[in-house]
Amino acid sequence: MISNLINKYGQWFGLLARIVLGGVLLAAGWLKIFTPAKSQMAVRAYELLPVSIANLMGLVLPWVELGLGMLLVLGIAVRFSAILGGALMLLFIAAISQAWARGLSIDCGCFGGGGTVEPGKTKYLSEILRDTGLALLALYLIRYPLTRFAVEKSVITEGE
Amino acid sequence: MATNASGGDKFTRNLVIGMVALVVIVGASFSYFGSKGSTTAAVPSSVSKTDGYGIVFNADVKNVPTIDVYEDFQCPVCARFEAINGITLEKAISDKKAKVVYHTLSFLGTESILAANAAACASDEDKFLAFHKAFYANQPAENAGAITPTFLKSLGTAIGISSAKFAACVDNGGYSDWVRNVAEAGAKANINSTPTIFVNGKEIDRNTQYFNVEAFSKAIAG
Repeated sequence: MISNLINKYGQWFGLLARIVLGGVLLAAGWLKIFTPAKSQMAVRAYELLPVSIANLMGLVLPWVELGLGMLLVLGIAVRFSAILGGALMLLFIAAISQAWARGLSIDCGCFGGGGTVEPGKTKYLSEILRDTGLALLALYLIRYPLTRFAVEKSVITEGE
Repeated sequence: MATNASGGDKFTRNLVIGMVALVVIVGASFSYFGSKGSTTAAVPSSVSKTDGYGIVFNADVKNVPTIDVYEDFQCPVCARFEAINGITLEKAISDKKAKVVYHTLSFLGTESILAANAAACASDEDKFLAFHKAFYANQPAENAGAITPTFLKSLGTAIGISSAKFAACVDNGGYSDWVRNVAEAGAKANINSTPTIFVNGKEIDRNTQYFNVEAFSKAIAG
């Protein structure tokens, strides 16, 4: 039953997954690349990495998100991009969860912003749920990377 | 279907991957080098490199607490902080009861850089505190395009700065490299929010001491 559905509509769902996951990554990267100092602050606020590494990550991560977003929206190297995109989502979920568990008061800084916020203004649950949804889309694309309207059409079918 | 993997398709794939990789690498390098400070940056006269390139008051007064104020001219909470505690800090400076270091961060964007640069220009006229106060009293909306050299110069005029040097300094962004140095030092000092207040290197309590004038006065007494 489910495999029938996937045969019939799977490539369309894959397109949707690509647009949503890729679009979110594109937006997340785009909204951060113009305020690198704020992006650094957002990573530091997780209190997870040594300051110097957090600062470096704050500069590089938005560009990586932007690149993965471009690949997913275009439909190039979909499985590879979905693996990296999904891994990023798992990383974000872990980082946000530990911030929540340790009682930090931070904004995830996912789409710009970030840093310390007033206690009671955190949105950890919705942030985690959103990233979980995106991780599931990535998982679908890893399993079924062949999708509608991908620039790259047939290379990935070789392995199927 | 596998045979459809034509040479053209693979070429497109590799071309796109190459271009995306280029965008990521060039962009990340741009961000990286853009965030680096400059050892040759022009700095305002009251700046102390050892105090994170901050603008220092009472640098030579002994046996008083050091208060570090990290702020961004565009941050609305900083305007609120200034409205509540600005006078207290100014009084601590004029009474020589504290060494106060202002770190004008600029993480909110280019208009923050313009404002911090202008504050440094005002500092050379011995009008940093007056500029600081006038700016927050008239703080425009964040990144709305309102913080322009014209706006910043009119603030200068309002507090009695008439020199052509100030106007040129604001227009040319003479201290924008220094603004970047302050930002880099703030990042290294792990400042994750503005305003952030340190007394003798230790942050005061965000929940109770930031926005209550009595608690703040007590906290900065050291």
